[in-house]
Amino acid sequence: MIFSDVGMDTASLAGPLDGKLAAVRRAGFSQVMISASDVVGHPGGVAAGVRAVRDSGLAVTGLEALRDFEGCDSRLHAYKVDVAKSMLEVCSELGGRLLLVEASTSSHADTNADAMIRDLHMLAVLAIPMGIRIAFKGVSWSRTVRDFAAAGELVFRADCPNLGLAIDAFDVLAARIPLGDLDAFDPEHIFLVQLSDYMWQKIQSVEEQAATATHFRVFPGEGAHSEDLATFVRKLDAIGYGGNYSFDVYNDDYQQMPPEIVVNRARRAAEWLVETVLRRALPVPNMERLRRTAGE
Amino acid sequence: MNDALGREAVPEPLNPLGIDGIEFIEFATSKPQALAGVLEKMGFHPIARHRSREVELYRQGSMNIIVNSQPADVPRTVQPAETPIISAFAVRVRDAQAAFRRALDLGAWEIPVRARAMELNIPAIHGVGESLIYFVDRYDEFSIYDIDFRAIPAIEPNPPAISGLHFFGIVQYIGADRTADWVEFYSQIFGFTPLPDRVRFGIMPKGLVLQSPCGSFFLQLIEPQDTARYAFSEEHLQRIGFGAPDVMTMVATLEKRGVEFLTSEQVHTSDRGALTKPCLGSVMFELVHAEPRTRVAQR
Repeated sequence: MIFSDVGMDTASLAGPLDGKLAAVRRAGFSQVMISASDVVGHPGGVAAGVRAVRDSGLAVTGLEALRDFEGCDSRLHAYKVDVAKSMLEVCSELGGRLLLVEASTSSHADTNADAMIRDLHMLAVLAIPMGIRIAFKGVSWSRTVRDFAAAGELVFRADCPNLGLAIDAFDVLAARIPLGDLDAFDPEHIFLVQLSDYMWQKIQSVEEQAATATHFRVFPGEGAHSEDLATFVRKLDAIGYGGNYSFDVYNDDYQQMPPEIVVNRARRAAEWLVETVLRRALPVPNMERLRRTAGE
Repeated sequence: MNDALGREAVPEPLNPLGIDGIEFIEFATSKPQALAGVLEKMGFHPIARHRSREVELYRQGSMNIIVNSQPADVPRTVQPAETPIISAFAVRVRDAQAAFRRALDLGAWEIPVRARAMELNIPAIHGVGESLIYFVDRYDEFSIYDIDFRAIPAIEPNPPAISGLHFFGIVQYIGADRTADWVEFYSQIFGFTPLPDRVRFGIMPKGLVLQSPCGSFFLQLIEPQDTARYAFSEEHLQRIGFGAPDVMTMVATLEKRGVEFLTSEQVHTSDRGALTKPCLGSVMFELVHAEPRTRVAQR
C-alpha cells in the first residue's frame, strides 16, 4: 500500500457531493469511492453529479453499493437486474471501473448456492462490455454470505474474470475471522479492501454488529482495534494484495461534522497505515493536488 | 417447483445456439457513398435498400454487408459519422428468439425493439463499445432482406464472390488486461472457444483468437501494446478479415480493382495474408489464407 492506493468514501462525509469532493481533494487524496446516492441525489441531476465527479480530478475507486442482488426469485430478479444495469450505467459515466456489491441480507433471498452463483455470474457478464469489475462483499448479518471466506467461495465457483472480492475490515474484526483464511485467496481476486474500526472492545450480538457497522465506525487508528487492523493490513501486504483501499466509515457523528474535519481524520488514518503500519515513505501533503495544479 | 432447482445448470451442448456463421456485418457512416466506393473495389455490389431506414445492402457470394446511415435512436450505439465504423454483426442461429432470451439470462444487454409495422424485429444485444450483435434465424428459404429491403431493380441479387472470398472473422481492439473478460463474454453467450497461441492465421499474429462453435468464424482480440497500454482507448470492432483460398491471386485481382495493400517492413503481403491500406479514416480489410467452409449441419 502506498498513499495513492487509499481512497475516501463520499458516504463517510456529510453535505452535498461537490463539498465532499472538494474536501477529499484538498486533503490530498487522489481517489474517491462514490456512493450512488450522492450522484443520483445531486441537486443539479445525475448529469451534474457525474460532471462534478469527473471535474474533481479525483480517480473513481468505484461505485457503491448494489445490495440484495443475488438469490432473488424471478420477478424480484428482473427488477434487481434493472437496478444493477442502472448502477452500471452510472458507474460507467463516472469513469468508474468497479461496482461494489453487498451480499443479500433479505430474508426473501434464496440461500441456494447455485442460484446465487448464477446471479453473480450474470451480473459480472452484464458489467463486461463496460469494463467494470464486480467486487462482491460478505455482510456480517447476511443469512448466507457473512464474511470474505463465504463470499470468496461463491466468487471462486462463479468463475468470471471480472468478478472478485471486496473485503471489509470491519467484518473481519467484528467477527474475529482468522487471518489465515486470507491465505486461500489469490490476491488478484481481491478487488477492493475497505478499512474502518469501531470503539467498543466487543460486539455482543448480530443486531449490535449491524448497528455498529452502519452508525459507529471510526477511521483506522482511532478505534479499539488498531493492532488487529494493522495486522490485517500487513497480512494483505504479505499475500501480495496491490489493489485499492477505501475508508467506509459510517458514523452518525461524522454526518454532523464539516467534511473538511472528517476528511482530515481520514488523512491521518492513511498516514498511520502507510507510515506506521507499513513503514512506507509518504508523499508530502497535497502533492497530488500540486502536481495536478502544475499540469493544468 | 423450487425456482433455484428449476434454473439449475445443466451441461450445455458445444453449440448451444446452433450458430451457423455470420449473416451480415454492418458499417455505420454518414457518408455511405464514400464507403460504397470502397466496398465495390473489394467486390461487393449494392443489392437492396431498406424500406424505411437509410440502410443499404451489399453482397458478394455468401457475404452480406449492411451500410447504415440512419441516425442512432438507441443510447450506446454508433452515431453514423464521416469515418465509417463497424457497428454490428449478425450471427446465424437456430432460433433467434431463444438465443436472445438465453443471452439476456446470461447477462447480455438488450436493444429496444426498433422495427416498424410489417418489419422484422431482429433481436440484438450490446457488444463491444457501441456495437451490436444481432441474432438471425431466417437465412435458408427466405431471408431478412426479403421483408425489410426493396431490391434495386435490374441488379443480380446474388453476385458471385471474387475467387472464393468469404467472411473469415473480425478483429476487435480491447482495453489493457481485458482479454479474459471478452473471452468470457463470447464463450458464455455464444459458445466461442479460445484457440491455443500456436494457431495463427494471416500475417497479424497479435492477440487471442476465438473460434465460433460452427468453426467458420473467428474473433481476434487485441490489447494495446507497450506504452499504449497506459493510454485510454475505446474498445471497438476494428476490421473485417476475409478468407481467400489463394492470397497472392486475390491481392493481384484486388489491386487491379484499385485496392491498395500495406507493404511496410513489418506488414506486407505473403501467401499467408495481406492487409489493405486504411481509407476513409480507418477502414481496412485483412486477407487470410483460408478455404471457404461448408456449413456445419446444425438442423
